[in-house]
Amino acid sequence: MEIDDTTRDEVRAIIARYPETRSALLPLLHLVQSVEGSVTPDGIEFVAEQLELTPAEVASVATFYTMYKRHRTGRHHIGVCTNSLCALLGGDVVWKSLSDELGIGHDETTADGEFSIERIECQAACTHAPSVTIDWEYFDDATPASVSEVIAKLRAGEPVQSTRGPVIRDFRATEHTLAVTDDGLAGEGPSADHRMLAGLTAAKERGMALQDTAAPASSEGEN
Amino acid sequence: MTATIPVPADSSPPPVDGVSITVDGVPMTVPKGTMIIRAAEQIGVEVPRFCDHPLLDPVAACRMCLVEIEGQGKPQPACAVAASEGMSVKTQRTSEMAELAQRGVMEFLLINHPLDCPVCDKGGECPLQNQAMEHGRSESRFDLEKRHFDKPINLSAQILLDRERCVSCARCTRFSEQIAGDPLIELFERGSKQQVGIAEDRPFDSYFSGNTVQVCPVGALTSSQYRFRSRPFDLVSVPTVCEHCSSGCGLRTDVRRSTVLRRLAWDTPEVNEEWNCDKGRFAFAHAATPEFDTPLVRGDDGILHAATWPEALERVAEGLADARGRSAVLTGGRLTLEDSLAYSKFARAVLGTDDVDFRARPHSTEEADFLASVVAGSGLGVTYDQLENAPVVVLAGLDPEEESPIVFLRLRKAARKRQLPIASIAAWATPGLGKMFGTLLPTAPGAEGEALSALARGGDTLGSDGRRIAALLNEPGAVILVGERLATCTGALSAAAALAHTTGARLAWIPRRAGERGAVEAGLLPGLLPGGRSLADAQSRAEVAAAWGVSVDDLPTKVGREVDAIVEAARAGAYNALVVAGVDPFDTRRPDDVIAALEAVPFLVSIEVRPSAVTEFADVVLPVSTITQRAGTFVDWEGRTRVFGQVFRTSLALTDARVLAMIADELDRPVGRQDVAGMRKEAAALAPSGSGRREVPSVAASSVSASSGQAVVSTWHHLLDEGTLQRGDDDLAATARTAVARVSAATARAAGLTDFVTLSTDAGSLDLPVVVTDMPDGVVWLPTNSHNSNVRRVLGVDHGAIVSLASGGGA
Repeated sequence: MEIDDTTRDEVRAIIARYPETRSALLPLLHLVQSVEGSVTPDGIEFVAEQLELTPAEVASVATFYTMYKRHRTGRHHIGVCTNSLCALLGGDVVWKSLSDELGIGHDETTADGEFSIERIECQAACTHAPSVTIDWEYFDDATPASVSEVIAKLRAGEPVQSTRGPVIRDFRATEHTLAVTDDGLAGEGPSADHRMLAGLTAAKERGMALQDTAAPASSEGEN
Repeated sequence: MTATIPVPADSSPPPVDGVSITVDGVPMTVPKGTMIIRAAEQIGVEVPRFCDHPLLDPVAACRMCLVEIEGQGKPQPACAVAASEGMSVKTQRTSEMAELAQRGVMEFLLINHPLDCPVCDKGGECPLQNQAMEHGRSESRFDLEKRHFDKPINLSAQILLDRERCVSCARCTRFSEQIAGDPLIELFERGSKQQVGIAEDRPFDSYFSGNTVQVCPVGALTSSQYRFRSRPFDLVSVPTVCEHCSSGCGLRTDVRRSTVLRRLAWDTPEVNEEWNCDKGRFAFAHAATPEFDTPLVRGDDGILHAATWPEALERVAEGLADARGRSAVLTGGRLTLEDSLAYSKFARAVLGTDDVDFRARPHSTEEADFLASVVAGSGLGVTYDQLENAPVVVLAGLDPEEESPIVFLRLRKAARKRQLPIASIAAWATPGLGKMFGTLLPTAPGAEGEALSALARGGDTLGSDGRRIAALLNEPGAVILVGERLATCTGALSAAAALAHTTGARLAWIPRRAGERGAVEAGLLPGLLPGGRSLADAQSRAEVAAAWGVSVDDLPTKVGREVDAIVEAARAGAYNALVVAGVDPFDTRRPDDVIAALEAVPFLVSIEVRPSAVTEFADVVLPVSTITQRAGTFVDWEGRTRVFGQVFRTSLALTDARVLAMIADELDRPVGRQDVAGMRKEAAALAPSGSGRREVPSVAASSVSASSGQAVVSTWHHLLDEGTLQRGDDDLAATARTAVARVSAATARAAGLTDFVTLSTDAGSLDLPVVVTDMPDGVVWLPTNSHNSNVRRVLGVDHGAIVSLASGGGA
């Protein structure tokens, strides 16, 4: 794994953020993905060295979270939510058409290295089901046609704007954002829209306020 | 497998931190923090469990121990919920909710379990099997395809994993992380794919890996050694004591049809708790079969021929007839206390010589004086429990992980649980020191004495760490542990004794071999008689002569020679005979000299278990029993007597003590029958009386320094290496650490070292990979007796010697 000086500085900055070095594990794994496109055995060794953990400890975490990829990924990562609500509202159809169009299945990458696709779990965007993500940015209210159009644009190198987020760069760029937290892009693109805020708006119109409830019962012993 | 929590007696008032609870309606008071599962055990209620282990932190991973707690809406895991005041707990015995919950969990656990008990090694001693019978359904309702994995896979050469059987209790991963400090195995993946695993190319090479097999509550982890070898109900289990190091582990030796099939750690809370190291667990092939069928006598043709006992004894008697006062006895460090006492008596009372020494390793007169004055006859000294509760532990010339692994586990436990400060006087911070969260007081070989003296002066010259440790040493209960290699550091043992005297700290010597402390107690050193008595002291001589049933006049009066001097004297023709037991010349500092001595001596008796470099030259070889064929006692480093029985009770093989008795009879100087019971009586009669203690040595510290192109050797043994008793288990050997040479960056630069270094002396040279390490300049560290790194045999030197460094070509 080739690590340049910029990345080394970022590694130091990430570790310095936490009182316990081990806490830097998740961002460092994202950083590795931003460099390598996936978490490779080399990347695991690198992170283990940086954090004075064993490779097994790092691999344990890297294999637990599905967002850490352990084989080659495409330039863009496309996720389709197929949890119940999204699936019923068209997610399954979107998935099938995407999979057919690219000729690959779950957690696979196109031969040209452009796209990886994945059936993903709930993205907390049920108001805009079915939810699709491109490099982890939202593409709300997806349809087979809208997804196909986005793929064509990405292939052609045309700019693609997330429906609620920034202009799409690529998977590694997003991974870099996840690792370093502040890359200045946080405010870019549209954010929550009226459908997501409908409940809040209604509550405000009606002058509703939180009730002063007693502290919840102790949950000691819950496991 | 269960620990007991002390429960206050009914009559006494509850302790201030006790809490009152009821379990199944039975009121009890338990210490605050007691988990419900432990409390239930106090009234004999066993809540079923897999992940729970009294010595591991609770995790509540398996959910098997669900119980009902009044006021809580849903079942709670008894292993992870601490008893609190007024809590009312109902287990499966009185709660339908708990009973139902446990049955449900059991059904879930078995969904992906292959139920292959008939071909599983764990079958018959399996907590899953047992608890499924008790708390599960008789028939599975799951008729779909189960999860499949390749099986078994190697976690290491020795440890195999069958992932289909695993119930994800995390006992093995928690053991490795918490107890051993080797988090080389972890739970990988999630959901139904969750599995124990290792990182790529990073096998589970932990010195303690075998414990995971023992704590695995299912058949997921097995050892390559025992896999498919036996059914537990065909085994006869015998409690034994480990013969490897001086930790004194209690073991369980499992035997079927006259073969040892496996060894396990025996629950010995005061010593090894429930753990042992992989050497103690797996390295027992050496005792599998006696390698001599009969005594051997060298014929006129110069070849050893099988002989009967009467023939061999007659020959020995002839050879020893004119050896009284002109003979020496070398015994090695692996004898039982009973046999050591027999040699001590045989040398003095039968051969009339005080030239007797057990130290088949580098040694010094200062060490002999130290052992005679500080260790011999001191009884049970510092204990494991005291180590665990000490305000500070200073290690001098000792790497416990490599040299006394159970001491390491106890120190790590204390460091992890109560931040015990540990400091090591050594050349570099070993992995073991890191796992004990210890502090290195960097010390070049030979400078150990200076470092100890510096601590006695307040530690100023050792920096802030030194000052902190020196201050802690003045607190009551502080401990200094010294290892065997301090014998090679002039002035170090004197300085350790002086440091203990100055600070009031307690001092303990941790030898590497199981028999060394017993040999000291038996007086197998020149000038030292059993029980710490002195040969030079009339009262001591009288006491010992009385216990031995001989006349005081039969005992020698002249203090004898040590091993190196004995070797010199033998080469110079000072002896008519040598009696050698359990000594490997290659363990000594100058193996060539020892072999020359063996060749030179007119008559050589070898009392041995197996062929060795000594038997090669012996005139008579008298075979003795292996460790499994005899009963005996080891005295561990604490001074605790660890008595063990015979594994193979029908064995006719003789102990060393019995053989010596027969020789004495043949020489017409009878010493009695010397069976184990008799020797134990003798040991009791020779208990320390306080008479004739030698003066504590006060040798001035000196240091060694290397000139350019040279370095001072720092060396100690890896736990797993080319030791004789580890032969015959390739899978264990495959988990050993690789030998490397460690030097500082400056030393590497000065000598132009890149990847490999060639270390050479007049005797020979070694080629080893270089690892640049934070350590004093002008020092090179390498393991003493590992593959490609046999310091004594090849280089003919030891810790503190000078070697030449040159860039090496690689292997």
